[in-house]
Amino acid sequence: MLDKILNSRFWSWLFKGYGFVFLTFLYLPLGLIFVYSFNANSINMAVWTDFTFDWYLTIFGGANSQSEFDAAFTESPERIFEVVRNSAVVALCASTISTVIGTATAIALQRYNFAGKKFYQALLILPMIVPDIVLGIALLIFFVGAGFELSLLTIIIGHTTFLASYVFIVVSARLAGMDTTLEQASADLGAGPLTTFRRVTLPQIMPGVVGGFLLAFIISLDDVVITYFIAGVGSQTLPIFILAMMRRGLRPQINALAVLLLAFSFVVAAIGLYLRSRKT
Amino acid sequence: MSFLKITSAHKAYRTPEGAMVHALNDVSLDIRNNEFLTLLGPSGCGKTTLLKCISGFEDIDSGEISLEGKDLKGVPAHRRPFNTVFQNYALFPHLNIADNVGYGLDVAKVAKKKRNIRVEEALELVGLSGFGSREPNQLSGGQQQRVALARSLILRPRVLLLDEPLSALDRKMRENMQIELKLLQDSVGITFVFVTHDQEEALAMSDRIAVISDGKVQQVASPTEVYDEPANEFVANFVGTSNIFTGRIFEKQGNIVTIETANQRKVQAESDRFGIGDHVQLILRPEHLKFTPGGNGIPDNCIEGVVETCIFVGSDLHLHVDVGKGRKAVVHHRHDRGNADEKIEAGSQVTLYYSPRAAHLIKAMAN
Repeated sequence: MLDKILNSRFWSWLFKGYGFVFLTFLYLPLGLIFVYSFNANSINMAVWTDFTFDWYLTIFGGANSQSEFDAAFTESPERIFEVVRNSAVVALCASTISTVIGTATAIALQRYNFAGKKFYQALLILPMIVPDIVLGIALLIFFVGAGFELSLLTIIIGHTTFLASYVFIVVSARLAGMDTTLEQASADLGAGPLTTFRRVTLPQIMPGVVGGFLLAFIISLDDVVITYFIAGVGSQTLPIFILAMMRRGLRPQINALAVLLLAFSFVVAAIGLYLRSRKT
Repeated sequence: MSFLKITSAHKAYRTPEGAMVHALNDVSLDIRNNEFLTLLGPSGCGKTTLLKCISGFEDIDSGEISLEGKDLKGVPAHRRPFNTVFQNYALFPHLNIADNVGYGLDVAKVAKKKRNIRVEEALELVGLSGFGSREPNQLSGGQQQRVALARSLILRPRVLLLDEPLSALDRKMRENMQIELKLLQDSVGITFVFVTHDQEEALAMSDRIAVISDGKVQQVASPTEVYDEPANEFVANFVGTSNIFTGRIFEKQGNIVTIETANQRKVQAESDRFGIGDHVQLILRPEHLKFTPGGNGIPDNCIEGVVETCIFVGSDLHLHVDVGKGRKAVVHHRHDRGNADEKIEAGSQVTLYYSPRAAHLIKAMAN
């Protein structure tokens, strides 16, 4: 009965229409940013005047056709390069450290039994549930109290505290699906614990480790809330920098920057998906 | 000097519910060099635990496992000269067949050239030459089994431990592998310790069988001895099917004893070991119960009965015969296609007899 109604032409079109509207709502803003990033109108970006690559060129330092008005609201390529480098350093360091910690923890909790195991597991999931703003304030209080000077280092430490949880969860899922007799077989064939880890366990969980690393990398790259609290004066990251730019008005250069950030995220996500599909 | 010796090994587990399970309860076993020994028992009897304790994946609580007089206590699995063939093969999915087989040599850092020659030899030994570049998941179950064998044998272990390696194969494949394994063991001259719950497999392949139940070794003997002269009621029932009559010997003429059971049945057996007054159990295999030939020469120890069920299994008819006084006898009768007169079905009246020499006597457990 229900089948018949749902298969009728009217309902079929209605659902297709709904799906279309839904996806448009989701992706239209992203599309608009992409389109506006090529709009030459520097006063009102919503009104199309002419096609231009200028906004991209200002990021890379190749444009000099700007009016003085534009120049006042456009960041210099040197400044942009500095914050991008900051972001890259933070994301790379934080995701690498949290991958090592998260993977080691996942193995410890999966393979060994000890008192308080459940408690540790809960502790590891907690940073994902704690609101970012609480975590940010807590970290700030801790760093100030402990006498840390706010810098890239404090951002790296702060990010690692919650990114390790993400890596832990991704790697745990992979470990749970792994046949433990493979490790026994390796030991049986004469391999010590370290050799077994290097030659059997690590290759088996590699997709999980790489997936966890990329996830951590992306999350670190666009984190605003926590970073906002623990970033020092000379250690702005890209998202914080964009936020600061926005305060002075929604300038077209931001669109171009956002599109580049989006494209980069897509590339990272694509690498992750590729690695996951290759060997499961 | 004894080869692989297990002396009063104990091992207890605590189940998640908190109960203690004695997986090994005073197990002693003397495994000889170059023999094919099978650990046979029902699931949960402790045979796999014993294998894991030998391989070093688990430790015994007390007792001793020694190889040529050297105690193996504290020697981790990767330092023991034993290799295991796992039930699920445990081939490394991220390595191809050659790298799987060569794993042990790579870990031991054997030179590349020598390693490749030995991998090729090992693959040839199990009939898989030219499969080196394939992936494990491209192989059938039987082929994976051979790869697992090659991977273990390439290290020339003193003992090869096999944990129910044939249980995942279909029947035909299993029978082929039984023969191949036996031939392989003869040719490589390595001690095989084979774990199985399949009594036919054990009887077909072993030099000796250790029947294990409830964490205890019930009997260690050659397959014929285990079958013809089971040490106790458990072995008699687990290895093959048995008709068991319990009673007291009340007459002995020469070496023929007559036993009277609790419900006044009289059965005969041949025995030197037991005398008048002994409480014994008479064990009789179903194939030794025969139909009496018609006409003259009817033996004097016949049993009358009525066929209750008749199951055709190909070569034999498996019959349950009601022999009165609340007892059933199991009879395996060779299916005789040429004999048109013979018609056995449920309800048939039959007369059974057996030769007293075919019966085996064991001491009855006091109860």
